[in-house]
Amino acid sequence: MLSPERLALPDHEYLARRHVLTYMEDAVCQLLENREEISQYGIARFFTEYFNSVCQGTHILFREFSFIQATPHNRASFLRAFWRCFRTVGKNGDLLTMKEYHCLLQLLCPDFPLELTQKAARIVLMDDAMDCLMSFSDFLFAFQIQFYYSEFLENVAAAYQDLLSGRNPNTVTVPTSSSGQHRQRPALGEAAMLEGVEASLFYQCLESLCDRYKYSCPPPALVKEVLSNAQRLTFYGFLVALSKHRGINRALGALPDKGDLLQDPAMDEELERLLVQVPGLVNSATANPEASCLPSRTPPRAGSPWRPPHPSRKLETESDGSTEETDQSET
Amino acid sequence: MIPGKYRSVSGRTANNVNCGLHLVIQTSSLPEKNKVEFRLNKETSSFPGRLLQHDLERNYSSRQGAYKFNWEDKGYISGDGRVISPSPRNKSACISSTTNVTELCGLEMKTTTSSLSAFGDSSIQTPSKPRIRQGCHSAGPNVSGDHINLVSSSMPSFPILQRSSEEKILYSDRLTLERQKLTVCPVIDGEEHLRLLNFQHNFITRIQNMSNLQRLIFLDLYDNQIEEISGLSTLRSLRVLLLGKNRIKKISNLENLKSLDVLDLHGNQITLIENVSHLCDLRVLNLARNLLSHVDNLNGLDSLTELNLRHNQITFVRDVDNLPCLQRLFLSFNNISSFETVSCLADCTSLSDITFDGNPIAQESWYKHTILQNMMQLRQLDMKRITEEERRMASVVAKKEEEKKRESHKQSLLKEKKRLTINNVARKWDLQQHRVSNFVTNQDRKDSDSPSQEPCQIDGSTISAFPEEAGSLDSGLTNSLQGLSVTDTHLVEVDGDLLSLYGSGALESLDRNWSVQTAGMVTTISFTFIEFDEIVQVLPKLKIKFPNSLHLKFKETNLVMLQQFNALAQLRRIDQLTIDPQGNPVVNFTLWKYYVLFRLSHFSMQKINGTEVTPNDMIMAERLFGILAHVASSELPQYRLISILGDARKKHFRYLLDTKGKKSGIVNEENNDSKRLVGENTNRATLNYTTREFYNEKLEEIKEKKKFCKMYIEDLVKEATEINMKNEALQKLWPQMFIELVRDAVIEIRNKNSYMKLCLQQITDQK
Repeated sequence: MLSPERLALPDHEYLARRHVLTYMEDAVCQLLENREEISQYGIARFFTEYFNSVCQGTHILFREFSFIQATPHNRASFLRAFWRCFRTVGKNGDLLTMKEYHCLLQLLCPDFPLELTQKAARIVLMDDAMDCLMSFSDFLFAFQIQFYYSEFLENVAAAYQDLLSGRNPNTVTVPTSSSGQHRQRPALGEAAMLEGVEASLFYQCLESLCDRYKYSCPPPALVKEVLSNAQRLTFYGFLVALSKHRGINRALGALPDKGDLLQDPAMDEELERLLVQVPGLVNSATANPEASCLPSRTPPRAGSPWRPPHPSRKLETESDGSTEETDQSET
Repeated sequence: MIPGKYRSVSGRTANNVNCGLHLVIQTSSLPEKNKVEFRLNKETSSFPGRLLQHDLERNYSSRQGAYKFNWEDKGYISGDGRVISPSPRNKSACISSTTNVTELCGLEMKTTTSSLSAFGDSSIQTPSKPRIRQGCHSAGPNVSGDHINLVSSSMPSFPILQRSSEEKILYSDRLTLERQKLTVCPVIDGEEHLRLLNFQHNFITRIQNMSNLQRLIFLDLYDNQIEEISGLSTLRSLRVLLLGKNRIKKISNLENLKSLDVLDLHGNQITLIENVSHLCDLRVLNLARNLLSHVDNLNGLDSLTELNLRHNQITFVRDVDNLPCLQRLFLSFNNISSFETVSCLADCTSLSDITFDGNPIAQESWYKHTILQNMMQLRQLDMKRITEEERRMASVVAKKEEEKKRESHKQSLLKEKKRLTINNVARKWDLQQHRVSNFVTNQDRKDSDSPSQEPCQIDGSTISAFPEEAGSLDSGLTNSLQGLSVTDTHLVEVDGDLLSLYGSGALESLDRNWSVQTAGMVTTISFTFIEFDEIVQVLPKLKIKFPNSLHLKFKETNLVMLQQFNALAQLRRIDQLTIDPQGNPVVNFTLWKYYVLFRLSHFSMQKINGTEVTPNDMIMAERLFGILAHVASSELPQYRLISILGDARKKHFRYLLDTKGKKSGIVNEENNDSKRLVGENTNRATLNYTTREFYNEKLEEIKEKKKFCKMYIEDLVKEATEINMKNEALQKLWPQMFIELVRDAVIEIRNKNSYMKLCLQQITDQK
């Protein structure tokens, strides 16, 4: 609780830095939105639940993009949620287009911007052939880098452009600090003759960038490791290397290693249970799908610290009643 | 038809005797008398079954009086009754028979027989027979050799015919050379007065040696092998020319036969009617059993009353309206298939009998009434007398037909209008799509909506004429066509169980008062050229107005995202879903079908895009998206669940409020709906779709709230930190303060006595 940082900074700043304010604001916002319902089961409970869900990473489900990208934790949670929900697509071996991946993203976040997906696809496809099919894992790891380090990558791109335009490393570091300046300089075509930039120079730029950078960025040591493998490299080459780097993935902590990407035994178990209930199979059509679904809802809830019994029960009974009704009318 | 033929055969035998005129009678009677060598002639009467078709044709015509020509009528042989009938009695019979048959011709066999019996009754027949026979008998020997010598003349190939003088005196005007196996025409000398000449059933290939017979009236060359009409140029008096059953290919060389009354060319190989326009006295023309492919060139045949064209290959008829006297036209067994190809018949006012049997046209259901309606002048059709009843029926049917035609015309007009409207809507849609896509990249979507109105206004002006037309048409059609409203920017159409909506404006029609019956019948609803987001907004209405809709079709509706399908979950039931790839990019996704199955699994859909849904599909769908549902339902925090479901409910409520003012009714509906929504499939209900517009609105709302929350939290935190700071300061000060307090107290009570005194003093003071 009492980290050195905690003592070094004024309270307010510390809270902001740690995104605590973000969550507090959001919690109040959520509270406001559903005042009546929440007041029925207790504001204290609501806050407990809210911060619990933040801890579990389930708070970002179906939220607006501005919230999802607000904190690194939210981003990581979203990545994890995306992986969990659509792992089966990858497992099924389907290759999808950028647009279709985008649709999947939009299932979790309705206003997810196309731009980000496009950028991620560009990392996978290395060019503008945007209609190509991608495997789930390729896309996911590229998307992870692009989404999590979004702002950082923008700055990297700017730095890369500066390097490409042929400035010496001493002057390079200066303009990277201000993102506005580099845009005024047109990229020189001649630099393209030697593709990419020198890795060591590039690293120097990135290092200083990481130092000054207030947003999250990959650990500099790992970046160095990535860059040490090649003499020269292009921007997209760098991104691909980043996306494939196991250490960075681990440091980020949202997704499992590539080898385990399609594994999620707990969820698979859950899925098997769901499959049994698929309507149209055997006699399950007559069975009450809601009722049978509900037990599956409870275990994770039981795992969570508390469970608001009253409203959820109300919900359950309500749904139970209605389905019984329909069942009767059907038979 | 075959029985009819036989009937006509039997008729023929009778006719031979009765009305086929003397010539025919002669043929039949000749063998009886001429026992020497011409027994085979008997077969015409005794073996009717063996008659050839040619005979039939001839006979057919004759039965109908084809060869009847009234000598008296023309005043031709007015003073010379003997030519035809030896006795005046017989002559009268003949005339009567003519009139009779003329009257009866074209009737059924039955009537013909009745006419025959009439003959019998008149008892003219019997007495006439022997007399004629006698005549024949006397003429017969001409050939037998007793009285006639066929002497080979100086020209080697032509026999010369001579008759004895008494024969000549007796039958100066006739000569019969039937079945003489003649291969050429003999030279007939000294018979300049000959009026009738019969060469039936020979093998003559060329008409020759006739130039001297200038008074010839009747020439019968039936059943020979003549290939060309020739050698007749001097026979200016010829009135009857019978050339049936020959090999003639072309009508020609008739230029001088201006008085021709009957021309029989049946059973030849003629392909064209030609060179007859000068025959202004011709009354009967028989061209049956030829190779005619059409009928025209009939100009100038001003007296023609009967035209026989049976058994050709005629496909169309022209010029018949140029025949002022035509009464009977036989077109049986040809290739006429529509009334249009014989439409000139309608203008042929004199026509009273016509036959079309054996033509394709006669098979048509409309045949009879069409003919009757178009040819009011007819008295007989296909040998049957036309009754008043039939005529009435025909006119009724024709009227109906006409109505139908008008209706179909209206329909086609309507169809055309529909096409135009759809085109228009499509154009507008394209324009809009284009613009919207432009705007989306540049600006917020909200802005793009208002400019997108522009193109439709432009469209409206460009086809400004159209709505007016629509108005006038609509008024006439509303009765016949149920619920069809057409304007230039959208189209609503109800066709049986299909409700088609084109253009976003069409959605407004859902507000109209649909009749329960119509609405109940609609099971398929098709949306074209409508933004899906707009459709989403009317789905609740749709659910109420068309409770039986099971099949939804989307075409050009801008379905681009999987989540859009979520919106369909709120409907009552969907059995089938058809998403046309045109204008719906979502169909290009590999997963769209599974997502639909997954999200709409509570409908147990049967078909998607026409393909049957299999259990495997269902499993696959669950496999792919089951976890999503699970996560969405089980891991979603309670407060989120409430807010999402609450949103859906609110949204619902708002749609309904927007559309109607009847609050009380809707609230009930609303309650049911929301219940249903919850009941639908709880683990999926959280996956819902908000249209972009609403979503943006919601985001705005959230933004506002956020702003407030931010301020609130900021204040709160500031306050908290201040309190904290004060608290900390207090914490820091407190120990010292405490010490100070204790020290003060200790100092105070150090002198016990003085302190006690002080205390006492205080107590007493209080009192």
